[in-house]
Amino acid sequence: MKKTLLLLSMIITLIIAGCGNGNNGASEGAGGDASGTKEVTLKVFNFKVEMAEQLDRLAKEYEAENPGIKVVTETCGGGCDYSAALKTKFSAGDKPDIFFVAGHSDLDLWEEHLEDLTDQPWVGDIHDFAKVPMTKDGKVYGMPLNLEGWGFIYNKDLFAQAGITELPKTISELEAAAKQLQDAGITPFINGYAEWWILGNHLMNIGFAQQDDPVAYIEAVKQGQETITGNQTLNEWANLFELTVQYGQPNSLQTDYNTQVTNFANGKAAMMQQGNWTQIQLLDINPDLQHGFLPMPINDDAEKMDKLPIGVPNNWVVHKNSAVKEQAKTFLNWMVTSEVGKRYIVEEFKFIPALKTISADESQLGPLAADIIAYSDAGKAIPWVWQRYPGYEANTSQMASTMQAFVGNQVSREQMFEQFQKTWEEFAAQ
Amino acid sequence: MAKAIKRSKWPEYLVFIGPAMFFFTLIVIIPFLMSMYYSLTDWNGVSSKATFIGLDNFKKIFMDDDLFRKDFWFTIRFTVVSVLLTNLIGFGLAMLLTRKMKLRNVYRTVFFLPNVIGGLLLGFIWQFIFVKGFATVGELTGIGFFQLPWLGDAATAFWGLVIVQCWQFAGYVMVIYIAALINVPKELIEAAHIDGASKWVMLKQITVPLIMPAFTVCFFLSISWCFKVFDLNLSLTKGGPFNSTESVALNIYYEAFRNNRYGLGTAKAFIFFVIVALVTVLQVMYTKKKEVQA
Amino acid sequence: MVGRSERFSFLGKAAVQMIVIGLALLFLVPFYFVIVNSLKSYGDLLTNSASLPAELNFTNFSRAWEIMSYPRAFTNSLIITIFSNIGLVIISSMAAYKMVRTPGKAMNILFILFVSAMVIPFQSIMITLVKVGSIAGLMNSHLGLIICYFGFGVPLNLFLYHGFVKSIPKEIEESAVVDGCNAYGVFWRIVFPLLKPMTVTVVLLNSLWLWNDFLLPSLILSGKELQTIPLATYDFFGQYTKQWDLALAALVLGILPIILLFLSMQKHIVEGITAGSVKG
Repeated sequence: MKKTLLLLSMIITLIIAGCGNGNNGASEGAGGDASGTKEVTLKVFNFKVEMAEQLDRLAKEYEAENPGIKVVTETCGGGCDYSAALKTKFSAGDKPDIFFVAGHSDLDLWEEHLEDLTDQPWVGDIHDFAKVPMTKDGKVYGMPLNLEGWGFIYNKDLFAQAGITELPKTISELEAAAKQLQDAGITPFINGYAEWWILGNHLMNIGFAQQDDPVAYIEAVKQGQETITGNQTLNEWANLFELTVQYGQPNSLQTDYNTQVTNFANGKAAMMQQGNWTQIQLLDINPDLQHGFLPMPINDDAEKMDKLPIGVPNNWVVHKNSAVKEQAKTFLNWMVTSEVGKRYIVEEFKFIPALKTISADESQLGPLAADIIAYSDAGKAIPWVWQRYPGYEANTSQMASTMQAFVGNQVSREQMFEQFQKTWEEFAAQ
Repeated sequence: MAKAIKRSKWPEYLVFIGPAMFFFTLIVIIPFLMSMYYSLTDWNGVSSKATFIGLDNFKKIFMDDDLFRKDFWFTIRFTVVSVLLTNLIGFGLAMLLTRKMKLRNVYRTVFFLPNVIGGLLLGFIWQFIFVKGFATVGELTGIGFFQLPWLGDAATAFWGLVIVQCWQFAGYVMVIYIAALINVPKELIEAAHIDGASKWVMLKQITVPLIMPAFTVCFFLSISWCFKVFDLNLSLTKGGPFNSTESVALNIYYEAFRNNRYGLGTAKAFIFFVIVALVTVLQVMYTKKKEVQA
Repeated sequence: MVGRSERFSFLGKAAVQMIVIGLALLFLVPFYFVIVNSLKSYGDLLTNSASLPAELNFTNFSRAWEIMSYPRAFTNSLIITIFSNIGLVIISSMAAYKMVRTPGKAMNILFILFVSAMVIPFQSIMITLVKVGSIAGLMNSHLGLIICYFGFGVPLNLFLYHGFVKSIPKEIEESAVVDGCNAYGVFWRIVFPLLKPMTVTVVLLNSLWLWNDFLLPSLILSGKELQTIPLATYDFFGQYTKQWDLALAALVLGILPIILLFLSMQKHIVEGITAGSVKG
């Protein structure tokens, strides 16, 4: 008893003596202000290392225009796991005012912490399809960061070399083109199947997004009214999957993202399934690369197949219980309405804007973004739906493992779909 | 009288052991107990609600979690193979480097060097080597070993992890074995030599029993490293291909942070802790017994 | 007869030397990749990763130096490593000493408690640790991180000291007590100096760990001003692109101090581990 008491008093002493330092940069600025007005600090928790520096500069510009407001950014990405870090931040009570949440399942997870942004002036300017992922019960909870799209990026020079004049729009044409490339001694596909997100998020998305009514289908599978096994469209999707493996490079299961992009840029293969985010890297490695997007067809319905999956990877959100949430909203609004903010989005972040009021063209963003914008403007887009799957990325990474097993000949096509079905049932049950 | 002395010693204990106990309790024990509480809830890691669900998480793990079982089996295989190889290589190197040899200290440094690169980066660098380096060497030499899909196939990915684990820790245990070997009295070896004992017999009968304490320590350390393998696993294979190289620690991490089932993740962590603690205690008891016999 | 055996042993020695050289080269392969590629441009690095650089290109180093604010990150890492080490050495050596010198079951159980904590997977207490950390005011400060290291480092440090203290003869202390030293005097004047070889080992092993640790500082510290070297290095790994050219240069800059530390204390570390863990 005495021991415990002593230990307790010891603990208390040490806490007082050793741990009283909870201060950080936030309060420092306030003291030095001669006029006595309180400086307000906005904490932004950024997930994208690629825009960390630019975001800092944007913050400086904002501070210059708005004295009394300080924007502090912190970045966690790459080696740092954003969702784990965000969760620990919330547990620790060190909650950022502005952070990032992906749509649908991720929105469900974070909803209780998010400010309703429906009344914000920029909401009406968002492309309609880009608004969907962050809308729940008629309320908009986030501002889309940008638009991204993917498909088969193809090397125009290699296609010309193989004598392909007509770009493939259907799966039969794609197979014919692959054959033609192979006959010319060119590897048709380089597949980055070591990466779970290439398989589970992106490739798999085609099979669900090409359903007649993707949202209804996904809901029905969740409810147990439909199954993944025996679905005609998914079965067609598996044909495309098999085609890429058949005409792909050897050892695709250990080809990671970097290897895939590098080998493609160096002309070692004619096509890769990737998105417009590869632009900077591609031109870094090979400035003369002539390239563009091809759709990913799963059957021979040319009109239906000529579409690219375009969507919103992530969204700015405001923390509901933040003391400075009004300032946070003002900042977000400034970013998409002021000239400075708009310029940063296009020219510094190199983003395809998700708002109709911001324009961008090929000279600013490169050929891949130009293709995405063209497809988007022509209404030839299919949605991103994996954020709607039960379990979100827990589900897609599980399906990706199954797909890897299929590539490695561990399971048959039937077994693959049975596995998918099991994974869905498990996550839907929660 | 005796009692009075004993009581007066309490402040002394407090000063000597108190600080260590305090920090250890604050940083390790309290969080550990708190996460044990969460193992009885369905907390998702974000929500303000955590419903108490009793032993449901444990039931779920034991009744139907094929992946967890599969990952456990992988971790056991990985631990057995890596612990044996690490210690075999480390001990072999120690035997070689306790001989008279030019540049002996340089070699010791070289073999210890892998320990200076830590954590995730190590896995990234080896990934780079397996995927790009080996492929280039394979192209140049045509040797089949380098042309294997090292990280793309369940069997080779397993060995890839074992190789890196041994590469990193063989030098560490080597240093401990060297230290032990230096302490073996020369007279004993010489006497045995005169008696006509063969090198193998000398190693088995004299050297190994004498340095048994070093084996206790090395096995304890390497078992706990291998069981807890995480950084390397995450950055080298991410558990792939098709979950074939997913360690238990990685499984727990994914459960808590990707699958948003923090409660279930901590329940797994608790089971894992109990098993690892059991294994290491048994190992230490076993090798300690051998020490006594020697 | 004698000549043949000598010649054999000469050949044997040469063979052993060859084996050792071969193994040493094998162990150095990853370092070759790191250094060679840190000197290449990004495109060159991805295209010819195994070859020597076409020309020596130190721009990666100067850029990495600048972007990661190397001097600041270095200072931060240094502060954390030094103070964590000092604290750990003090609290673990004192505790280990007292635990060894106190007979009875209680201390044994306490020792087992400390050691068994070494097998707790860090990931399983991550979230609850930050909860505790924020209540105790440990978040976002170097001091807070150092206190966390005290907690996590104690088990291994104690384990190592525990084994070493056993090997110190009790008689020395007893004579000091006769000379009128109290318990603290005995420890600091007599015992602690004798622990020096182990202290060197403990400091080196701690430094390896503290200098390279990523996960814990990434949870505790936010904001660039507080960043350590591993945190700054990871800034080169983006969502999609890994800037290998800069990351490898940063890695070389980051591990250089620790390699220098190791080389300069290599003699001590071998001595230290000899003396310590073997007698555990």
